[in-house]
Amino acid sequence: MISETSTLDAVSAPADTRDDADAGATRSARLAFAWEPWLLWLALIAAWQGIASLIAGQGNPLLPPPVVVLDALWQSLPELFTGTWSSLLILLPGFALAVVGGVGLGLVAGTSPRLGRAFFPFAKVAAPVPPTVYIPYAIAVLPTFHLSATFVVFVGAFWPVFQNTVAGAHAVEGRHRDNAAVLGFSRLEYLRKVVFPASLPHIFSGMAVGLGFGFILLTVAELFGANAGLGRFVQYYADFADYPRMVAGILYTGVVTWAAMTVLERVRARALFWLR
Amino acid sequence: MSDATTAALRLERLRFGYGGTTVLDGIDLAVEEGNFLALLGPSGSGKSTLLRLIAGLERPESGRVFAGDRPVAGPDVERAVVFQNYALFPWMRVVDNVAEGVRKARPGIARTAARVRAADYLERVGLPGVAESYPFELSGGMQQRAAIARALALESPFLLMDEPFGALDPVNRARLQDLLVELWQGRAPRPTVVFVTHDVDEALLLADRVPVLGASPGRVITDFAVPFERPRSRAALFGEHRFHALRESIAEALDADTLARLAAA
Repeated sequence: MISETSTLDAVSAPADTRDDADAGATRSARLAFAWEPWLLWLALIAAWQGIASLIAGQGNPLLPPPVVVLDALWQSLPELFTGTWSSLLILLPGFALAVVGGVGLGLVAGTSPRLGRAFFPFAKVAAPVPPTVYIPYAIAVLPTFHLSATFVVFVGAFWPVFQNTVAGAHAVEGRHRDNAAVLGFSRLEYLRKVVFPASLPHIFSGMAVGLGFGFILLTVAELFGANAGLGRFVQYYADFADYPRMVAGILYTGVVTWAAMTVLERVRARALFWLR
Repeated sequence: MSDATTAALRLERLRFGYGGTTVLDGIDLAVEEGNFLALLGPSGSGKSTLLRLIAGLERPESGRVFAGDRPVAGPDVERAVVFQNYALFPWMRVVDNVAEGVRKARPGIARTAARVRAADYLERVGLPGVAESYPFELSGGMQQRAAIARALALESPFLLMDEPFGALDPVNRARLQDLLVELWQGRAPRPTVVFVTHDVDEALLLADRVPVLGASPGRVITDFAVPFERPRSRAALFGEHRFHALRESIAEALDADTLARLAAA
């Protein structure tokens, strides 16, 4: 089925762009390249099916075949959607706080030598602590699970954003600094009109890492104490040894993560259009 | 040499170095108001550093820079600077880059009014219709025109230029040289210009006066007045024997400096 749609795409592509030979050439080149991922997907699903039927023949339920998982996924979709909603209500505030705080503090600490001297020794000690170790303590100390999980996501996403923003602020080109100086920019103008946009490539790198961390911490935190959410879904059906739903939950979580990363990548491409 | 009290720009016993290397030493220079000065020197003569000192982007080891009657303590919008690498902010539209200059010259001006004036300046430097473009959409020559427009928008009494046409092709370079002189002459009172270059012909075409810097350490080895009437044309200059005599003298001064340095080494 997958190979059929791909063939259709490949055939129809040159017809789409026949009016422009160059564009047509690059487009079909790109499409030819896009074959590989689909082939890999196909191979993986085939392998999955192969192994699943092999061990199912021995009466082992650990790896349900694709069709069974697909059915479980379909059955669980309402539950997964509520779970996604519950998870996003933790992830998005935590991540947004981390971005606002990390970028704000990073810009200030990255441009002020004094604040830098105050912050960086602390950051050096605090940043490498695996944020997962905060989870039990946060759950114990903070009044609600939602607050604890949000805090942990925030901590996990904060450091990559902060550190990358500082790196970006340090990497502002001398010519931009000189131009800001001869244009008489105030410190605030310099931060807003020069350092912030110039640091955006670094900031987006930090955000991508931070978002990844955020998903990891979110799902781990949900294993501990949630009553809804993506991580909770998998943990819950693990308790019942419902492997089709577990695998469905894992796949679904992968898709949600991928979608979030794709959105971030789109925003990045938009914001950095001037980067040539 | 002009009287120090009427000088718009005065450098006194200026010395600058870093890491034990002396880049500039014993620089004394007084520039009259409205003068067009071309600082000429080989690479390593510290001419760009000297311009940065005048701009206030570097602090001297000893000695002082006066702009008007005030000592230079840091960068100031009264000394507009155009750098070699058309340093527009790449994330701002061309018109917004220029509008930054307008806003500094007229604090409190409304955003739209600043943009209108900025578009005006762009038109004056021969860039109509690119206001809403981004710098990466412009050629090097066009970006440098926009950088000049931004400097002009500051309406500063001083215009400092660091090899502004160094990266341009000959055709664009000639066009921008003419444009610069036209804009400089068109303003009343004329701004005092310090133009750094290593191109002798460019210096003689543009400037009223050409101090020549020697290298290691950079210092003024000689200082020529350029007597040619304005408007100047390249064709007329190249036909003039005084032009060739001046060129010759400058080349001799630079050669003598190089030979003395080699002999000392």
